[in-house]
Amino acid sequence: MATPVNSKFLVGIFDDDDVVLKAVREVRESGVRIHEVYTPFPIHGLDVALGHPRSRLGIAAFMFGLTGCITALLLMSYTEKFDWPMVVGGKDSFSFPIYIPITFELTVLFTALGMVATFIISNNMGPTVKPLMFDLRTTDNKFAMAIDLEKNSLQETAIESILKQSGAAEVNVKQF
Amino acid sequence: MASVHAIPSLDEQYEFTAEAKRRLIIGGVVGVALVAIGSFLLASGVGEHAHEAVQGHGLSEGHEGAHGHYTWMTRFWANVWVNSVYFTGIAVAGMFFLSYNYLAQAGWSSVIKRIPEAMPAFLPVMGIIMLATFLIAGHDLFHWTHAELYVKGGEGYDPIIAGKKGFLNTPFFLGRMIFYFVSWYFLWRILRNYSLQEDLNGGTEYYYKSMKFGVVFLVIFAVTSSTAAWDLIMSIDTHWFSTMFGWYTLASWHVAGLATMTLVVVMLKEQGYLQAVNQSHLHDLGKFIFAFSIFWTYVWFAQFMLIYYANLPEETIYYRERFSGYGGIYLAPFFVNLFLNFVFPFLVLMTRDAKRTTVLLKVACWGVLVGHYFDFYTNIMPGTVGEHGGFGPIEFGMILIFACAFIWSVSTQLTKANLIAKNHPLLEEALHHDI
Amino acid sequence: MHITSAVRTPLVSGGKTYADVTEDVCRQVEGKPTREWTIAFTISALVLVYGSACVFYTWWEGLGVWGLNKTVGWAWDITNFVWWVGIGHAGTLISAILLLFRQKWRTSVNRAAEAMTIFAVVCAAMFIFMHMGRPWMAYWALPLPNTFGSLWVNFKSPLVWDVFAISTYFTVSLVFWYMGLVPDLATIRDRARSKVSRYIYGALSLGWNGSAKTWARYEYMSLILAGISTPLVLSVHTIVSMDFATSVIPGWHTTIFPPYFVAGAIFSGFAMVQNLMLIIRVVFKLEDYITTEHIESMNKIITLTGSIVGVAYITEFFIAWYSGSEFESYAFINRASGPYWWAYWAMMTCNVISPQLFWSKTIRTSVVWTFVLSVVVNIGMWFERFVIIVTSLHRDYLPSSWAMFHPTLFDISDYIFSFGLFFTLFLLFAKFLPVVNMAEVKAIIKSSSEKLPQSVSGVAKGERVTNPTFNKNVD
Repeated sequence: MATPVNSKFLVGIFDDDDVVLKAVREVRESGVRIHEVYTPFPIHGLDVALGHPRSRLGIAAFMFGLTGCITALLLMSYTEKFDWPMVVGGKDSFSFPIYIPITFELTVLFTALGMVATFIISNNMGPTVKPLMFDLRTTDNKFAMAIDLEKNSLQETAIESILKQSGAAEVNVKQF
Repeated sequence: MASVHAIPSLDEQYEFTAEAKRRLIIGGVVGVALVAIGSFLLASGVGEHAHEAVQGHGLSEGHEGAHGHYTWMTRFWANVWVNSVYFTGIAVAGMFFLSYNYLAQAGWSSVIKRIPEAMPAFLPVMGIIMLATFLIAGHDLFHWTHAELYVKGGEGYDPIIAGKKGFLNTPFFLGRMIFYFVSWYFLWRILRNYSLQEDLNGGTEYYYKSMKFGVVFLVIFAVTSSTAAWDLIMSIDTHWFSTMFGWYTLASWHVAGLATMTLVVVMLKEQGYLQAVNQSHLHDLGKFIFAFSIFWTYVWFAQFMLIYYANLPEETIYYRERFSGYGGIYLAPFFVNLFLNFVFPFLVLMTRDAKRTTVLLKVACWGVLVGHYFDFYTNIMPGTVGEHGGFGPIEFGMILIFACAFIWSVSTQLTKANLIAKNHPLLEEALHHDI
Repeated sequence: MHITSAVRTPLVSGGKTYADVTEDVCRQVEGKPTREWTIAFTISALVLVYGSACVFYTWWEGLGVWGLNKTVGWAWDITNFVWWVGIGHAGTLISAILLLFRQKWRTSVNRAAEAMTIFAVVCAAMFIFMHMGRPWMAYWALPLPNTFGSLWVNFKSPLVWDVFAISTYFTVSLVFWYMGLVPDLATIRDRARSKVSRYIYGALSLGWNGSAKTWARYEYMSLILAGISTPLVLSVHTIVSMDFATSVIPGWHTTIFPPYFVAGAIFSGFAMVQNLMLIIRVVFKLEDYITTEHIESMNKIITLTGSIVGVAYITEFFIAWYSGSEFESYAFINRASGPYWWAYWAMMTCNVISPQLFWSKTIRTSVVWTFVLSVVVNIGMWFERFVIIVTSLHRDYLPSSWAMFHPTLFDISDYIFSFGLFFTLFLLFAKFLPVVNMAEVKAIIKSSSEKLPQSVSGVAKGERVTNPTFNKNVD
């Protein structure tokens, strides 16, 4: 997510995961656009409530796996069939059953590494990344709902009261 | 979605309609007719010409498993045996599923628990048929039952088979078979009774008792599943042995049982029953079939690979027979088996959406069920009928007869209780199941 | 919705809030090392130093310092390797297979178990390097072209499969474990008060912000990782077992080896997890998170896998007789009654009989019994590998070359080295990283607590820097 510059946010702090889940539905129903919700642990159904599309990491994983599978088979068939044919243990220089273990291992290796790399890149993560924290307690015990005031037509006070009504324990202003 | 589900009524009574009964009877009659036609064709020698040439080379003589006195009856009994092994496995897999779900304290499966619970009722039928088959046609199917193999110095003496006499002898074999069916069936009766009483009386007492007897079953099944596989299947190829065979057969039975359960759940749902079963339950069942298909493949591959790699003649003969023996007639079933039991469910059930789509779930289940039939077919047929094997009316008919009888048995059991075990202590979790 | 049936035993006791979880776990990361930790670390480090010297000497002098001979060409080295790899199976089992099975009790133990996995695999790899004799040639095991003056590696050799399997397993486990750590590292980052730890934990947490979108992707990724790690964990010990089973040596060539090795691996791994968790829960005061229910669940798995191993032993023995192969039969009779009978019966007693004691609820809920039996199980599993490897080799087809194996000081010391390495790494982990997965435990608090506090959020203890400098866009 690109860092929003010069944006003013209202940050509703919630104490309870069930409350924040309910609040997301209520706030969205009252026509307020939610920037994002920050939680210390995953809340089941929160992404659906926020209307986030389903992740396509699975497709990436499948593609990486396929790459690994093909790489392994190409490597082994090239070396053992073409580059230096060899009969070992009475097996043909190309013996498919024997290649299955390594093919499997490389499939898994490529899938895991490729998918994790995709995850890190798509979330704009990395060791030098400075995260945009709306409230430091969201990695501990609080749940924060951030609302970008520039992207909402409603008045700040109106949004604040909507947040309060839906159960926010406190509402802070945060400027980036 | 974590939304509040509307929980439908839990009182559902399955009705085994006259229409369904009529269809099953027709199916059975067609099956009998096909078997009769097939038997008639075999008895009159149709389609046997090709084999005579092979026989002329003496390939089958002196070869274990093939018998000098082959008649069409052997093929008939071999078919009875394949189907018996297959449906015994499916029936007992229901009990297996119930037991390990109790042991693991699984919550989600409590809503579909009545379906696996209905399956083991077929065990006595299978037990009687198998015992009768063994007593009538044991000599046709099991090479080791021939007395001359054990006569030292005799013409037919086989030192290796004679060495197995302590295990492979008729009284002990019969005793083991009776023990399997009796122990499996009675432990199921206990669990079933508790389950029915739980419906009436509620409370957690029956839950804990069921857990206890489920564990007793698992302990017994841990041993008997392996020994049953050796007895009922592996001893057909009397010389051959594989330590993996017990677990391999268990994996096959288990996944066939899972596919059957899933199919029943989906079909009941389509008929308007099992309202409380939601997409998450189907998703979980799909995952089970997906995972255990891969597990079966793992076990299959490990066994195949080690035998292929080490290349010891007394072991590889088993795969040789299926690859190129008997004129290569078992090569196609061999690969059909691999395709339907691994490639097919793996590709069909890979995505999340597929496991939630009833059509794809049904397709995968049918694939797995057909595939595992061929698994037992390739394990049993070469050793019993050898080059006389094939796939004709007698095979189709026999499957129809057994399948109709099995469906009849399951349907009857389903009518005997509410379709949802409404007092199961973990049911509430299953009703709100959401993944 | 948190529907949990009343028949389930709670997994978190003491009425913990989210803030309590953070506090209880972060306490030892942020605080000064305790005295127990310092003593344990010193001992481990000393053992490691002694062991390293012995390993160095082994390489310097050559493998002749071990007790190997022409008949028994593999002994303690491969025994230790298989033993450690086996132990390294429990972590991925807990984090992957139990995740797929939605076992909530996994959340409190998975972090430490995965760390244990990684360190156990490191120890296992050390024996591979050791038994190469010339570890600087290790790259020859990689698929490199023949410009090095040799052929390509032999892809038909199970030992090459091992190279792929172990390195893949290590990499994937490490990635899985590290990705699991990221949210918790962000927690520590946000609590940090010193610049150094804020910088270090900030870099390690990869800029985690805990947004709903990240969490959704994160959970999806974890599920896929679990999905591929499950067959991976099976494949690793399968391939290790194939080092033996693809051969034609009686006692080694048996088709049940792959699943039977996997079951044995999980068995010994869980025993090791039990040992470590029982210590951690006391030393770090985590009894509210690692409860009797956790111990009992793990003991049930130990009994289950121990029984599976038992069935496999019986199957092997039976088929050895049933096969009618005199060599196969002899190999098994020799195991039970030959010169290594004591190893065989140690294995049988420790692996098959001792876990059956857990059928008693009193024993499986007792901390002392659990600890002792877990040690016994690991001794038994070491003997299992010893029995398989040494007794199968020491008497082959040629009676004139039958021999015994006698371990030397360096066999023993190189084994001790691996303990020093393992515990040093584990203690470092326990001090500097959160030993319990905070995010996952918080996620089950509502559904699995013994009693819920008034406000589940709780009051965060400790001061915080309100405007930390790592948050560059702060006004």
